[in-house]
Amino acid sequence: MSAAANISAVEVFATSKIFNQESDKQVDALLDVNLTIQSGEFVSLIGPSGCGKSTLLRLIANLLEPTQGSIRVNNKTAAQARLDQDYGMAFQQAGLFDWRTVRKNIELPLELKGWDKDKREARAIEMLGLVKLEEFGNMYPWQLSGGMQQRVAIARALAAHPPLLLMDEPFGALDEMTREYMQGELLRICAETSTTVVFVTHSIPEAVYLSNRVVVMSPRPGRILEVIDVNLGSKRNEQTRAADGFFRSITTVREALRGTHAEHVAANAIRGAEDR
Amino acid sequence: MTILSRAKNIAAPLIFGVVFLALWESVVVGFDLKPYFLAAPSKIVEQFFKNTTRIWEATVVSGTNALVGLIVGTILGIAMSFVLSRFRFLSQLVTPLAISLNAIPIFVLVAVLNNMYSITSEIPRRFMVTLVVYFIVLVNVARGLTQVRSIHVELMRSYAASDLAILRKVRVPNAIPYLFTALKVAAPASVITAFVSEYFGGSQNGLGSRITSNIANSKNAAAWAYVLGACLLGLAFYTVSIILESLTRRGQSK
Ligand SMILES: Nc1ncnc2c1ncn2[C@@H]1O[C@H](COP(=O)(O)OP(=O)(O)OP(=O)(O)O)[C@@H](O)[C@H]1O
Ligand SMILES: [Mg+2]
Repeated sequence: MSAAANISAVEVFATSKIFNQESDKQVDALLDVNLTIQSGEFVSLIGPSGCGKSTLLRLIANLLEPTQGSIRVNNKTAAQARLDQDYGMAFQQAGLFDWRTVRKNIELPLELKGWDKDKREARAIEMLGLVKLEEFGNMYPWQLSGGMQQRVAIARALAAHPPLLLMDEPFGALDEMTREYMQGELLRICAETSTTVVFVTHSIPEAVYLSNRVVVMSPRPGRILEVIDVNLGSKRNEQTRAADGFFRSITTVREALRGTHAEHVAANAIRGAEDR
Repeated sequence: MTILSRAKNIAAPLIFGVVFLALWESVVVGFDLKPYFLAAPSKIVEQFFKNTTRIWEATVVSGTNALVGLIVGTILGIAMSFVLSRFRFLSQLVTPLAISLNAIPIFVLVAVLNNMYSITSEIPRRFMVTLVVYFIVLVNVARGLTQVRSIHVELMRSYAASDLAILRKVRVPNAIPYLFTALKVAAPASVITAFVSEYFGGSQNGLGSRITSNIANSKNAAAWAYVLGACLLGLAFYTVSIILESLTRRGQSK
């Protein structure tokens, strides 16, 4: 997670996204979002359900077009970055292909890049090692547990060594133990490959544990309320979860999520009034 | 599946069949039913083995009609499903048509077709089988090509995949189980259509026509012997479609 000298991996300028514009089903998903992510940074997006986190991620991935504003990825337009396969993507569901073996699943993005067979195979085996699934390459996805499938999906997202990784609640379906294990693995892998990560999550501890910065978003229409720096250093491990700084950051994020400081004061005032 | 449960799966219908035949036989013998009313299974089997060559010849005629129609209908159905999945608006036109055509017994069309071809031509019957198979395959395969998981399409787009690559790597593999489901339905349907088409004239050489002519001559047991041949033919088609499916499904789930 050593941030390379101030090269922007993602730049989001004054971006808004409105779905079904000018129809009665119009949804204002995102409003005037500005965000710059440095190369090598790990940034989490957190906010109430429906606030536009997935939408923002899809905009960065150029799977959606912004209604207003512009987005640059790796100093290119988002569209060009997608065509160049500058990012890998992972979702809440592993989304593996049932008819392909685990190894062939990992090879898919490489196939589409036009790599030859030997090179693909070598890389897939390397990736299987990275997610500690060496022995499972020839199995089919449904023969693996949910956590293992998710690791395959991450291996697939990282297979082409993209400089940027976009993840939408990738650990949402996992149990707590597997989840913490996967968080550790993700940090290790990203450090080894110096990958920039944009990570959507609903879990405050997860966001804090993983991130250099946590972006807190408002309810719909999604705006950025606050960007919180997490100063837990670059070497994080199980002790980090017990550190004072960890809990302090969690509290900061939680308060930012609860709303503005003013609301917090108002809530206290009401409680005070009830006590009387 | 364990050997035990597999044995159970085979044994249960087998026992049922034996008991059923025994009951049938005892009813015919017990009530002394006349053969033109209901033939006893023992008489049917007797007739079957007495006429094996003729039943076999008739089976080959009907079976060939069914097979030709099955193959041509499958190929055309697959081809059209690709066209439909490419042009969605077409599929909105054709799918309801295909479903409603499937619901009515379109093989009556064979009567019309028989007038257009020479009396000995097998083309009208093969055409009917083709038509029935075509719609079954078309509807199912088109569904397989279009109903892909959106996460898969999104992933492919994130890899900057072309429409052709999405077709080859997502839609086609997704449609393969749908194709075999269609074949499992279409294989017996092709046999049934081949028989029923024979009821509407044309040359009298297939299983269907033999059944009618034997009934007309009050040779009930012989008619049932041909029905037995028909059952075996239908079973053979179904079995082959299941074997094909299991071969392609080896590594896969569900
Ligand atoms: N393709 C679409 N068409 C119309 N509306 C959409 C579309 N995608 C998302 N929306 C709407 O945009 C809003 C933001 O959705 P989004 O999926 O980005 O939320 P989210 O923050 O990821 O929520 P969650 O935490 O529940 O995943 C929602 O109100 C959703 O209904
Ligand atoms: Mg979401």
